[in-house]
Amino acid sequence: MTAVGTAPTAVGAATDGRGAAPQSEGTPFGTGRAARPGIVVAEHVSKWYGQVIGLNDVTVTVPAGITGLLGPNGAGKSTFMKVITGQLKPSKGSITVLGEPIWGNPALYFRIGFCPEQDAFYERMTGLEWVAALVRLNGSSESESLAIARHALEIVELTDAADKKIGAYSKGMRQRVKMAQALAHDPDLLILDEPLAGMDPIMRRKTIRLIKDWGRAGKSILVSSHILHEIESMTANILLINQGRILAEGNVHQIRDLIDEHPHTVYIKADQTRALAREFLTHDDVLSLKFEGEAVVVQTGRPDAFYARLTSLAASGELGIIHEVTSPDDNLQAVFQYLVKG
Amino acid sequence: MRIFDLSLGQMLWSRRSVFLGLLLGGPIVIAVVLRIIDVLYRAGFQINGARTGGGTIFGLIIWILYIRFIVPVLGVFYGTALIADEVEDKTITYLFTRPISRSAVLLGKYLAYLVCTTLLVLPSVMIVFFVVVPTGGGSIAQAFPSLLSDVGMLVAGLMAYGAVFALVGTRLNRPLIVGLVFAFGWEPGVLFFPGYLKRATVMYYLQALVSHEMPQDSAVAMILQVFREVPAVSTSLAGLAVITGLSLWSAARAVEQREYVLEQ
Repeated sequence: MTAVGTAPTAVGAATDGRGAAPQSEGTPFGTGRAARPGIVVAEHVSKWYGQVIGLNDVTVTVPAGITGLLGPNGAGKSTFMKVITGQLKPSKGSITVLGEPIWGNPALYFRIGFCPEQDAFYERMTGLEWVAALVRLNGSSESESLAIARHALEIVELTDAADKKIGAYSKGMRQRVKMAQALAHDPDLLILDEPLAGMDPIMRRKTIRLIKDWGRAGKSILVSSHILHEIESMTANILLINQGRILAEGNVHQIRDLIDEHPHTVYIKADQTRALAREFLTHDDVLSLKFEGEAVVVQTGRPDAFYARLTSLAASGELGIIHEVTSPDDNLQAVFQYLVKG
Repeated sequence: MRIFDLSLGQMLWSRRSVFLGLLLGGPIVIAVVLRIIDVLYRAGFQINGARTGGGTIFGLIIWILYIRFIVPVLGVFYGTALIADEVEDKTITYLFTRPISRSAVLLGKYLAYLVCTTLLVLPSVMIVFFVVVPTGGGSIAQAFPSLLSDVGMLVAGLMAYGAVFALVGTRLNRPLIVGLVFAFGWEPGVLFFPGYLKRATVMYYLQALVSHEMPQDSAVAMILQVFREVPAVSTSLAGLAVITGLSLWSAARAVEQREYVLEQ
């Protein structure tokens, strides 16, 4: 493993978003891979908010295909996303997206779709009205926009709720309608900031499948998360970010091995938390368990197996509805500490 | 125009519009009270012993309530919020990641503000006109041309104040406080000082567009006399156009260059 320092070598990780990235030279990170033109190229990018540093001398090339941006909260993921979507201007350094500078270049947004992290909408609008209104900003006529919006809502399986006010949507539906507005205009590059946050297990699985399908269709996707398991299920190619620096880039499986050495915490909000808890305790990989209000918080030694069982439970519905599954970011902290220490 | 479409509905059905709609009911209430007094006592209204017609009272209401108070209030509350609302609601991301320039977003929202506030003000002014003008034997037909010029003056005021406060909203932190200080501190305060300083106010140029004869020798007239250094109509219109244009240009530049950091 190569833990990349403050100014990692810009390399094009060879992944097509369909599986594990082909690696060469025996080193999974940073070196020995054939360079490919990147969809996002950052050179010595720093971003300060007054005295606070958001990004610290980041030099990285994000290749075509699906790339995961992994890091705990406050690591600089959202700042990086805002810089590459042209919402923030780098304090230092330069950044190009799809070969062009992004800051002050609105024409580039024809080719970019962005799903932000924040849970913000025009609440009085219906999902269809909202997506259509945003599609109209891309220059489509009203009737075209409605047709495009309907199609986008169909993709994210929100057709039935298209005419409901967004204010009445569940957290998962709100996430999906955000994704619909991002993909509606069929962009070349999708930038998704924590897209799975708050989704139930079934929708999470569907969304992951959707993202992989886009990757297969030749779209480039940069998706951020603080949960390795999520990223791993979408792509093998990751950028590891912490304290505003890209610590490592390359194959997810190496990181995974490290993470598996540490317990993984999962927060599950459900109708029948006690019944779920009883079921969880029948498996060896559940290390501990506690209740927090209407949720059960589980520590597992094998997140893969745990998530697979959880998804099956949610699909069967035998232990009631599972509303929300989240994972705090402390799972990654130990790994980041390891990487920072080199 | 797409931003205009998106923003107009948002503005019209906002809590701000409901609140300011209630504020615009104030002149209607006053007008109705005046009309009731007129009907009950049938003596008309007198200012300093001189009988005053409904047209003059309407002119006073337009100047004192609408131009001096309501139009700046509308300008402050909507103008400073054109971008600030989207930032506060964290929806600005959706507008700034579309293939449309940020200045076009601002201008679209400014146009929506103009239509929204005009739609709010117009019914109130019309009702006041039809209630007040007939008092003291005033003629609606005769007063109608002045209503049109009053509406024009109100729209000019909304344009200028909206642009100025859009600039305040895009350039400064705490724009609402700064806007209120400007509208109700700077604007009336500077008019009392001799010299050229008053030319840096919107009110100075709006005065010239008042079409009504104001009553003389009253306390109101004394106050109004302070403003009597009135520019020509053409100068006023040019001044308002310059204020509006410069403010919008500067606001658009600010929006293009400013980074909006949304709190997580």
